[in-house]
Amino acid sequence: MPFHNDCQTLSEVTAAFEAYEQALLSNDVASLQNFFWNSPHAVRFGVTEQLYGHEEIASFRQARIPNFNQRQELKRSISTFGDSFASVMYEYISNYDDGPRPGRQSQTWVKIEGDWKIVSAHVSLASEPHAKIRDNLASLGLIPEGENLPSIQKHFETTAFLAGGLMAYPLPNHIEPAPVFQP
Amino acid sequence: MRSEIEKATASEIAAAVRSGDICAVEVTKHFLDRIDAKNGELNAYTLVTRERALSESQAVDDIVASGRDPGPLAGVPYSVKNLFDLKGEITVAGSKINRENPPASTDATAVERLCKSGAICLGALNMGEYAYDFITNNPHDGPTRNPHDTTRSAGGSSGGSGSAIAGGLASITLGTDTNGSIRVPSSFCGIWGLRPTYGALSRAGSFAFVDSLDTIGPFARSPLDLALSYDAISGPDRRDAACSKRESDLVAASIETSIEPLRIAKLGGYFATGGEAFIHEAVDTVCRDLGVDNELELPQPELARTAAYLITAAESAQRHLDNLKKCPQDFDPFIRDRLFSGALIPAAWPLQAQRFRAWWKEQLAEIFRHVDVLIAPATPLRAPAFEQETFPFADEEIPLRANIGLFAQPVSLVGLPVVAAPVHLPGELPCAVQLIGPPHSEAKLLQVANALEKSGICSAPLANQQQLTADV
Repeated sequence: MPFHNDCQTLSEVTAAFEAYEQALLSNDVASLQNFFWNSPHAVRFGVTEQLYGHEEIASFRQARIPNFNQRQELKRSISTFGDSFASVMYEYISNYDDGPRPGRQSQTWVKIEGDWKIVSAHVSLASEPHAKIRDNLASLGLIPEGENLPSIQKHFETTAFLAGGLMAYPLPNHIEPAPVFQP
Repeated sequence: MRSEIEKATASEIAAAVRSGDICAVEVTKHFLDRIDAKNGELNAYTLVTRERALSESQAVDDIVASGRDPGPLAGVPYSVKNLFDLKGEITVAGSKINRENPPASTDATAVERLCKSGAICLGALNMGEYAYDFITNNPHDGPTRNPHDTTRSAGGSSGGSGSAIAGGLASITLGTDTNGSIRVPSSFCGIWGLRPTYGALSRAGSFAFVDSLDTIGPFARSPLDLALSYDAISGPDRRDAACSKRESDLVAASIETSIEPLRIAKLGGYFATGGEAFIHEAVDTVCRDLGVDNELELPQPELARTAAYLITAAESAQRHLDNLKKCPQDFDPFIRDRLFSGALIPAAWPLQAQRFRAWWKEQLAEIFRHVDVLIAPATPLRAPAFEQETFPFADEEIPLRANIGLFAQPVSLVGLPVVAAPVHLPGELPCAVQLIGPPHSEAKLLQVANALEKSGICSAPLANQQQLTADV
């Protein structure tokens, strides 16, 4: 049996990973909880949360309101070692209400008492080229179509370039920064 | 005059109506017929107020018949950019979004005052959406075409106002000018336009674009017509916070005053560089005719343009914030992304722009101690084709839409009055030059304009009739 990516082990982990993905997309809370190692040493880092122990992970799952129900796979990399240890790295795009966002998920799987369990996992959002513009607009309650972001960004960069010249010009200090208000 | 009334100027029409030589109703019907025949091609009008025009002109005829004074613009057919309120009509401002608004309950102040002078309202004119534009290729109402070449833009944002004058579909039109929206259509259509001093004419009842910079003003086929329109509209108005409290000088009465004592200079440097040679030759022709032999430069004109750009971007985005939230897909895509970008501007930029504006005002006040009128091109090119996206400027191809206003934008930053004076050469598309003066110098600018018209250097002929009537 090869130490790395033994056929049988690889197919077991692949099946477990895909079952987890299915449970996640359908928000099958009971299965999701069951995928994690039932131990205070199980750890899951989400985009915004750090969960230590099976109990914290389970209560997060129960409270979670799903904000996507589809993920498009970009790339997966599975490595198994021996017959009871595996690492799964996964890149995807999920569709949120405000548009698609690329994400990353890494999981460590261990076969414990005959079942594959996730002992630790970490989910993060990949940085996007227009994330800053999008987030700044969102702070004003503005949610443009994702396809408009590059053009908005381009306009903003032009404006910033022009503003740079004006900001650098040494105007006399006595000139007030706002038009004079006459009550 | 009867068969070709459209060739007459507004002042000629008013004189004929006032003296009873022609009925206002006849003039109105003539122009309504012309609109029916030609607007399909030019797309200058988005609304024809036929009933209103006929009843207003009947009222003028009744006044003439009774021996009373029908007003200095009696029977003169005019129309307005569709951002001016017309009582009972929806003020669309070139947008789809505003079509849901209720109809205006009263006329805009400018409309009210033209009406009081006896002028006849024919309708509302196409424009670039929310006036953030120099082309008038409106996604909701279609492109307004240039009567001199219908494959080309009439300019913007007051494109319908320019096209209607050059096409003989009105004698006077009203537009607005924030960064050049009167001067650009004047140049592309080869007609007279007046961007008045900031605050000189009331903007009440017009849909605003950038309150810090917006002005309203007339287009016409002679300087006298501009002057009569200005006189009719000017005067304080509590409905517009920026409207000057001073009683304005009447400008038509002094239009024949000799310009001998006026000190006139050509603007060099920034304003004499780049763009079509034809434009700069037109400036030189005007300068030669006026005996101008000195040239001077304004300090930091590029930064003045930047300051106007930043104030425009920040204020216009603020104005449209609610609709950007509610219905971003209903904006013209060209405008929408600029508004989104404008919403993100850090406060420091427009505030620095306001500081620059105050400083530049001081600099120009100093220059105007030594000179009365400055001459510069209005646009860096003549009317572009609709599909054109760039134009040559100082050894480069630069984006068209973003740069049409590069000679217009700096001077309006500080609210200076400008007359756009049209120059035509046989077989050539026209252009306009800017006659720029210190605040409230409209009378002097119109005197210079009048002298240029008298000497034949500047004129605003109707576009070639054959070309227009070919497919009617």
